Amino acid sequence: MAVFLMTVVVMYGLSSCHDPEEPEPYEPTPYYIDIPYGFPTELNIPEDNPMTVEGIALGRALFYDGRLNGRTHPDSLMSCYSCHRQENSFEIGAPRPHPFGVTGHSTHHAMLPMINLVWNPGHFGWNGSVSSIEEDVLGVISDPAEFDSSPEKVVNTIKNISGYPEMFQKAFGTPDVTVDRIAKAIAQFVRTLISSDTRFDRYMRGEEQLTPEELRGFVLFTTEEGADCFHCHGGYGNPLFTTNGFYNNGKDSVFTDPYDRFSVTGNEMDKGAYKATTLRNIEFTGPYMHDGRFETLDDVIEFYSHDLVNSPYIDPLMHHIADGGIQLTPQEKSDLMAFIKTLRDETFIGNPDFGPPEKLPGNNPE
Amino acid sequence: MSNSFIASRYFGNLTILFVATGLLFFSSCKKPEDTPEEKTGKIVFHFTQYNEGAPQRYDTMKYVNAAGNHYLVSEIQYFVSDVKLHRADGGAQLLDQWEDIHYVDTDLEDTQEWKVYDPVEAGDYDKITFTFGICEEKNQSLMFLNPPERDMFWPEYLGGGYHYMKLNGKWLSSDGMVKPFNFHLGIGQIYAGGVIDPDSITGFVQNYFEVELPASSFGINAGETKEFEVRMNVENWFQHPHVYDHDVWGGDIMQKQDAMKLGCENGKEDVFSFGEWKGDN
Repeated sequence: MAVFLMTVVVMYGLSSCHDPEEPEPYEPTPYYIDIPYGFPTELNIPEDNPMTVEGIALGRALFYDGRLNGRTHPDSLMSCYSCHRQENSFEIGAPRPHPFGVTGHSTHHAMLPMINLVWNPGHFGWNGSVSSIEEDVLGVISDPAEFDSSPEKVVNTIKNISGYPEMFQKAFGTPDVTVDRIAKAIAQFVRTLISSDTRFDRYMRGEEQLTPEELRGFVLFTTEEGADCFHCHGGYGNPLFTTNGFYNNGKDSVFTDPYDRFSVTGNEMDKGAYKATTLRNIEFTGPYMHDGRFETLDDVIEFYSHDLVNSPYIDPLMHHIADGGIQLTPQEKSDLMAFIKTLRDETFIGNPDFGPPEKLPGNNPE
Repeated sequence: MSNSFIASRYFGNLTILFVATGLLFFSSCKKPEDTPEEKTGKIVFHFTQYNEGAPQRYDTMKYVNAAGNHYLVSEIQYFVSDVKLHRADGGAQLLDQWEDIHYVDTDLEDTQEWKVYDPVEAGDYDKITFTFGICEEKNQSLMFLNPPERDMFWPEYLGGGYHYMKLNGKWLSSDGMVKPFNFHLGIGQIYAGGVIDPDSITGFVQNYFEVELPASSFGINAGETKEFEVRMNVENWFQHPHVYDHDVWGGDIMQKQDAMKLGCENGKEDVFSFGEWKGDN
């Protein structure tokens, strides 16, 4: 027994012996997210893609680099930024309900903003068919309505731009450029896009008071006898202002869209159901609904007030359907709008860390 | 760095490790009689939903309540808290280690089984009770920051905290239209002059209630795991002792204390039943 133990101990001693001359394995700098007041403490960060300072810097450069679609001709450049504009909460904004890609094809749906996606539980897009930001990036590359490219083309372009291999080295430990690493880096950057400084956030934190009109709107927002927005869009108890759930909210009685929530779940009751979008910065993300049918927020409030359409698939939370809507008076519509505008986050819109880097690797294409 | 220095360092380390290993080896040797006798068991609760004696079916208009309303159920979400195991000697054990408020969601299978962390002292128990919803002291806003519990929040203007239950469905109303109903229970409000307006709220009503599970006596041995079914008999929310008529109360009741009172009194009566867990149906 003593010999055996001695052998084990010797082996342990030798295996733990690190040659001081040998360099330590490279580790990028961990990046930590400060959880804002009232926000969920559970973050959706994949175990195989921890956030790092260097990974985010690389992702930010790729996000804004028009060569990301694998093309270098000035007329063919397209990056995430081509459609995801910071000034529109990383959405394209009006007047383009359906953005189109490099070849002119349009996407199936209007856009969703990129905001607080680190708290999305893994159901991205209007119908929740995408399980991660990484998966979304990979889909964009080959989607004919977006980059209409290929992983090989993208990798070949990026790895031949001076400066990028070094950034990959810093982010991932080796200079290898792969499409998975591209997706991971962009996802890391997108997870930093956090909105938590609206007037309503400051009201929650006790730093600011809302006006009487805004408070009346808040009451309407969070009461069943009022507008009852909160069951799907959150409120004080859910400052993300979305449950990230999917609802048929009474827009139609006939459902022909092959990309609704039903197309993902196969559950009949999900026909015509789509993601309840976050209302943070909703002012900047029109046109509204999955098909961009409403140009303005006034149109949206009018719809919920008077124009709901019943169907067997309408969500049970739409309990005002029998009246055709929530029947708001002009004053109530004004109050509700005033509250919704307290969800404007100008800190987010203007945060320089979310904007383009000062210089892209290689010769800047734009 | 000289080889002799490295060698002496290794042998120094080896001596320490060898002694430490030996100490660990000998310290882990105990006589069998020193092992403390296990005196506790474990409990697992399975939460199920039945309607008219059979497992609840969802999104099908196959049920008729005591008021004659044809209705369907889409989903049920609720809180069970402060579960107590009452011993024959009059004492009780509160299950509150790690989790004292348990969330059940008919759309989320993992919420329907609660493996209770608390060790349960071996012996005989007369009954099990729990709070339906959350008591006033514990029902504090922002105590659940993460979904799914987070999405049960009850608006600040209406009393704050969290819904006790959301039971969502649709009924065929007397005018022939299928309408949604949100049978939501939580903190009630008292409105001056009976006018439902948040500006006229003069007080709040804590509607949570204690449920005594019928025929819930049991015995548990040391080292044993007991699995129980806590069954919600959904139709009883609407029939006993009060007949609840959707045509009377409409689609939403969070601001209708009279409706929530009826619902809670029905819930206390015979909505929940209890039994040994016999596996999934």
